[in-house]
Amino acid sequence: MRRTKLWKSGVLSLFLLGFALSMSYAQQRTVTGTVTSADEGALPGVNIVIQGTTQGAVTGADGNYTIQVPGNDAVLVFSFIGYTTQAVPVGAQSTLDVVLSPDVTSLDEIVVTAYATQKKKDLTGAVGVIASDELTQMPQGNITQQMQGRVAGVNVTQDARPGQSAKVRIRGFASFGNNNPLYVVDGVPTTDVSTLNPQDIESMSVLKDAGAASIYGSRASNGVIVVTTKKGTSSGIQVNFNMYAGMQDPGKGPSTVVNAQEFADLQWLVYANDGISEVHPIYGDSNGSPTLPYWNGDTDWWNEVTQTAPIQNYDLSLSGGNDNSKFYASLGYFDQEGVVITNWFRRFSARFNSEFKIKDRVTLGQNLNIVHRSDRGTDSNDTENGAAMAAYTTQPVIPVYWTYDPFPGLSHTFVDGDWGSTGLAPRLGNKDNWVADQTRDADDVWQNLRVLGSVFADVKIIEGLNFRSTFGGDIGFTYLTDWAGKTYEKSENRATSTYREQGEFGGAWTWTNTLTFARQLGDHNILAVAGYEAAKTGMGRGVNATGAGYFSEAFSYRTVATAANLLGGSSWYNTPRSLVSQFVRADYNFRDRYYLSGTVRRDGSSVFGAESRYGVFPSVNAGWRISEESFMAGADFISDLKIRGGYGTMGSQINVSTSNQFFLYGGNPSRSFYDLNGTSNSSLPGFRPTRIGNADAKWETSINTNIGFDAVLLDRKFELIFDWYTKQSIDLLFQPELPGTAGRATAPDVNVGEMYNSGIDLQLIYRQIWGDFSLEANLTLTTYNNEIKAIADGYDYFDSGGSRIGALNRNLVGEAIGSFWGYEVQGLFQESDLTWDAVEEVWVPNDGVAVQDGAEPGFFRYTDLDGDGEITPDDRMVIGNPNPDFTYGLNLVLGYKGFDLTAFFYGVQGAEINNHNRWWIDFWPSFQNTKSTDLLNNSWTPSRTDATTPKASNKSNFSTNTVSNSYYIEDGSYFRLKNLQIGYTFDRAVLGNAFANARIYVQGVNLFTITNYTGQDPELRSGSDTFFGVDRGNLPVPKQFLIGVNLGF
Amino acid sequence: MKKLRFLTVIAVVTGLLAMHSCSEEFLEITPNGALDAQVLATYEGVDALLIGAYSMIDGLAEGAGGWESASSGWVFGSIRGMVANKGTDSGDQPDINPLQTFTETSTNPYLNTKWQATYEGVSRANGVILTAAVALENGTISQAEYDSFIAQARVLRGVYHFWVWKLFADQNTGMYIPYVDETTDVKLVTNDVDVRSMIIADLEAGTTLPLDMGQIGRFNKTVSQVFLAKAQMQMYKDWSTADALLSEVIASGVQPAGGTIGLMPTYGDIFDAAQRNAVESVYTVQYSVNDNSGAWNAGRGEVLNFPYKSGASPGGCCGFFNPTQDFVNSFNTSGGLPLIDLAAQTYSYNTVKVTNDQGIDINDPYTEFAGELDPRLDWSAGRRGIPYWDWGNHTGQDWIRDQTYSGPYSPKKQVYKLSQEGTLTEVGNWTSGYTANGYRMIRYADVLLLKAECEAMSSTGDLGFGEVNQIRARAANPSGFVMEDDGVTPAANYVINEYPTPFANTAEAMHAIKFERKLELGQEGHRYYDLQRWYGSNIATELQRIMDYESTMEWANLLYPGASIGSEDVNFPVPQRQIDVSNNVLIQNR
Repeated sequence: MRRTKLWKSGVLSLFLLGFALSMSYAQQRTVTGTVTSADEGALPGVNIVIQGTTQGAVTGADGNYTIQVPGNDAVLVFSFIGYTTQAVPVGAQSTLDVVLSPDVTSLDEIVVTAYATQKKKDLTGAVGVIASDELTQMPQGNITQQMQGRVAGVNVTQDARPGQSAKVRIRGFASFGNNNPLYVVDGVPTTDVSTLNPQDIESMSVLKDAGAASIYGSRASNGVIVVTTKKGTSSGIQVNFNMYAGMQDPGKGPSTVVNAQEFADLQWLVYANDGISEVHPIYGDSNGSPTLPYWNGDTDWWNEVTQTAPIQNYDLSLSGGNDNSKFYASLGYFDQEGVVITNWFRRFSARFNSEFKIKDRVTLGQNLNIVHRSDRGTDSNDTENGAAMAAYTTQPVIPVYWTYDPFPGLSHTFVDGDWGSTGLAPRLGNKDNWVADQTRDADDVWQNLRVLGSVFADVKIIEGLNFRSTFGGDIGFTYLTDWAGKTYEKSENRATSTYREQGEFGGAWTWTNTLTFARQLGDHNILAVAGYEAAKTGMGRGVNATGAGYFSEAFSYRTVATAANLLGGSSWYNTPRSLVSQFVRADYNFRDRYYLSGTVRRDGSSVFGAESRYGVFPSVNAGWRISEESFMAGADFISDLKIRGGYGTMGSQINVSTSNQFFLYGGNPSRSFYDLNGTSNSSLPGFRPTRIGNADAKWETSINTNIGFDAVLLDRKFELIFDWYTKQSIDLLFQPELPGTAGRATAPDVNVGEMYNSGIDLQLIYRQIWGDFSLEANLTLTTYNNEIKAIADGYDYFDSGGSRIGALNRNLVGEAIGSFWGYEVQGLFQESDLTWDAVEEVWVPNDGVAVQDGAEPGFFRYTDLDGDGEITPDDRMVIGNPNPDFTYGLNLVLGYKGFDLTAFFYGVQGAEINNHNRWWIDFWPSFQNTKSTDLLNNSWTPSRTDATTPKASNKSNFSTNTVSNSYYIEDGSYFRLKNLQIGYTFDRAVLGNAFANARIYVQGVNLFTITNYTGQDPELRSGSDTFFGVDRGNLPVPKQFLIGVNLGF
Repeated sequence: MKKLRFLTVIAVVTGLLAMHSCSEEFLEITPNGALDAQVLATYEGVDALLIGAYSMIDGLAEGAGGWESASSGWVFGSIRGMVANKGTDSGDQPDINPLQTFTETSTNPYLNTKWQATYEGVSRANGVILTAAVALENGTISQAEYDSFIAQARVLRGVYHFWVWKLFADQNTGMYIPYVDETTDVKLVTNDVDVRSMIIADLEAGTTLPLDMGQIGRFNKTVSQVFLAKAQMQMYKDWSTADALLSEVIASGVQPAGGTIGLMPTYGDIFDAAQRNAVESVYTVQYSVNDNSGAWNAGRGEVLNFPYKSGASPGGCCGFFNPTQDFVNSFNTSGGLPLIDLAAQTYSYNTVKVTNDQGIDINDPYTEFAGELDPRLDWSAGRRGIPYWDWGNHTGQDWIRDQTYSGPYSPKKQVYKLSQEGTLTEVGNWTSGYTANGYRMIRYADVLLLKAECEAMSSTGDLGFGEVNQIRARAANPSGFVMEDDGVTPAANYVINEYPTPFANTAEAMHAIKFERKLELGQEGHRYYDLQRWYGSNIATELQRIMDYESTMEWANLLYPGASIGSEDVNFPVPQRQIDVSNNVLIQNR
């Protein structure tokens, strides 16, 4: 389809060319001029062609040219690699000076790759690039969140809470454990980039395949993201100020929960369905109509637990330098209140990067980033205790505050001003007053100080041969306080206040030494790097203590020392891991046409036993710039076309414990102490086997094949970057569950698993300028197909993730990771399916209906998969797949004179969601909490037999709410306008040249979403890689409305 | 200049090689904050491993089980024995629902958790045995010390195996649980052999221990003898061997720290948390609170089993473990004797329903049951209008989480007193229901009734008549009755007497003994195993009798629909997960 269109365009181009030729006529004269560029001055070697002819000239060493033109109508086309081609009408001029501007085609960008920089057009591996202006488009405090939809092959799953890191996955999953990519910040590997200030980022390169990434060896199998921070330039001092501020709107909350009257009506429906009559302790005699209590709060809990919240960000940077020294310094402040009450996140950051050239041969430099972050309340998304679950489960009849005369409640006598909650009366459920909980604990603070930096020395040994040594370090300190105040208002109260304080620190360092050789020798272009690296990570210690019982609840009185009882203390001492590596890369090309490159790395790691400690990870890549070949000369619509392919291996070791190779014993009070002396309040230390060792564990390995092409088409208006890949991950580390008879010591990781991923990455860029109007469209498309090939001997599956009805995700051989597992709901039992046996008092299946526990009209009827006439565990099946068919991002940038408009759309197609919220609200016995309007209005009754929601009943069994089934599975596809920004850049003169540039903008974020998903937000926060796609009270992303200013001096 | 460049290259290369040569050392990192086996091969090390093995006697530890596996047996012993139902509401802990309707499958997580936690105890005991051998070889412990370690570890290992045996083994063939000792390869061990003799041998090892072990939490000769007697009765129906062991326990047994054993003078005091190690205790699981374990050493297995009126009733959560009506009716007396017919071996106690406050609002008037009752009822079940320890009267519906599902009664025996809150309960946790009220795993009345059973079954002595009456006499001590606030008025119409005439024969004696165990030891985790021992594959008959009655209660149509009791319900299916994990080396028992 696409190919057809391209050929048509090509034919059209040829036709136009012919037309132009036929119009030419002879009236020769001479035109001269100089071609320059702003950065480089005079440009030698620029091609000049008279449009529609084959006549041309080339600029000389001084950039000058001379050409004979046929007349005033002639148009000269100036072209030069790396610069935008310009067509200039000659008119009457005889001197025509042209300033070429650097080409905006991304293929000519300089890309920072593994231990080197290259032009993108010279890459043979799969590398995606994110520019800093794309990153900073989204008003988010964390660069991982800002990467979403920007690079093909990268899946980013957001977490709606302020300051939280998103889950970043490159090309599917390479392991059952941690699939986080490796980040390399200014040459220093790290696993955590959440502290970086997006404004400080110059560029990010995503190394996706083995050809690009395997030089990072044992840490590369999840992909590598190389982050480069801003440097000073040699063109004088620049000051930049950027800010934005705005509001976040939490939205309306779940539309599917009942109000107080409806809840009572639903109780009455349950009575009717179950044949129960009683005097309800709140609503009265079930034989009458329900009466609401006078204290009915009819509370909309979503309204209570959320707020419209401000967000603001300020950045000031100063950069500059001259030929011998450069610097960049910045200060940043980001402050986001949560849309959930009492939730906030703040970040202060400072950066100082500098570089000094000494005697033309030695360059010394440093990068330093100091960040202080603090927040309150970030541990509450996608859990039963989260804000969204408060809205899904708290009964609406409960008032937030008691505002009446004293009332003898269940737990306490309530007086005016008390919190209202489940302690008011029986049957109010077990859901806390979330507002009360958060208000009590509002003073809890987590804070973290991180210092991340590096120093380097670069020595030019001979021309083209450089030695570089970089030492990078990372140290972080965290302190947190956690108050749990005593309660009186609940059905399950906490009798004593407790206070925990915790402090910890962690650190890591990496020392990298490289020799780089880069030379152009005639037609031969060589880049070679050899290196040695040593690293130690995961160092650290921590301590905490908890006190209980406080004479005063005042904030100033809260210390562990002022507690009535010291409840407990603990400390930990991390076992670090060390890594020693040697590596080589070599890139060769002939006339920018034939490319060959190879890398190899050998890694040794402390986490493996001496016999299996070292791993070797090679890769080889080749490329062919086919557009340079003479047989392509006719295909004018192709400006550049390169095909490339590669093969290699990458490793991973992050999933293995540093203690994996050891048999260990240990003891702690909760696991192995016993009060042998019968004191009732002290226990004697006991030990137990804590870990079974495996000295044979080795690296996880991914074998990667990548085939792709880069094409620049139609006068460089289109760029197309396409990759197809396969990634076979073998020797995956997995902890096979030990038999119960082995005890509960931690099982070792063994290399048994195997997984397969394949997919395509596609990026399509279109640029067009029509006079004052410009358009740039950038589409990325990401797919991956994941299949588990093996888990362990004797295992064809393992379950992941818990819920009140057990694991919901099953990882099984032959299926995609994290598949949903359970019974398939065929429909609901109808009265015609079953017969009531009055003697045994059970429903008996009629002929042709499988025997099923708990069968009753209106309850789930499951598919008898094996057809044995009985619903048994063998009838369970894969009922959904949380992995998307594809994800895509579309960024549109339109410019008109000073105005610019950016729209960024993001979509996910084909990912299924297990809407576990339905378990809470669509089933009466799933705790005595609030329920759905579906259960009240659309559930099965003898007169509403076409319902899909089962009968409202207090029966909890196999046919209602105790097993995982397909009722909960929904299509989670969505399409979202992530960002819409309209800006205006002032003409310098208008502002009296006070600014180098000045721009203001307004912005809306997450303005609309198109989806069929019935939950609050189909974009789910996701925990582990074997357990995802389950909505358990996921906090929806807020809409944001912002204004911003960019100023340069 | 060229020379300088050359030297630079040499220096760099040399530097890289130097770095590499020390990398082996750089890559040797041993774990921080942990121990290896050699360090533990000392007296203190082996003893600490032994303490770790003892610490599983409550059935759980962090990372190894929870309330599912509690050795107090509230789920498998009491609920499965139909002296209690799950309580709470129907959606809470739904995995208990099929256990109480006898419809569980092999994938029920309670079974797997119980299995795993119990074998963790076995594994720890084996760790002691292995390390003690190393210590003996190294000369760091004496032969006598070694013998004591081995005997304690083996009896623990025997007890842990006995627990899983009762749950999963075939009563006749003794098969279907794997026996694991210190030499077993757990990947190869099967469950198709009779393991009874190995369990017996382990328990016998414990009987070589001295009477006084110096610490109340250890096993001594007496404790080991009782466990051995129980195993002989349960596994082999060997009444005479058990009789001899129990006779010695009664004659000369002591607590592990040397204290006397005997009947507590008053019934209710047995369950007072402060009296957990008093004379009635032969072995009490030593719970400890506020010991920096995050309540994992407290009564964690029972934490759900408290009334549900936070602030005004003990614990504060979660309304589980409510006595059944059948259990409550069992305490009916006539002329001070239970409503059972010894000669005909029938029951008539359910002809009189002990009335309750089901469906009656707490503010509505309520008339308490006036019929004659065994006073032990009001220590075994909380019911409206009756003082509940020192918490005031049980006020009925507001103490119950959902009467329509769980009935009107509350558990009581494990509950602590208001005056003990904060000292014998964990502070600073989400509930106060983590107590130091250690489970009376073996109490003297249990020993007496087992002795009575041995006499009755082997037709010796007075067929247990004396033991049964000893127990009834203690229960009849009026200073042990639950009293109204005034401290002198009995809270209900308590009438209890000893059996007037000796039991005529084994059948008559057993009928009395069986019922006495229900009254005396109700809610203490024994009932299901008693039924298993007495009825074997006929267990369904007795359970069905109770189910038929219980199903007529107002709350039963939510609680027991689909209940189905059969001969297979004499035990539980082997956890499917364990069969899977063993790669089908283990086999299913049915």
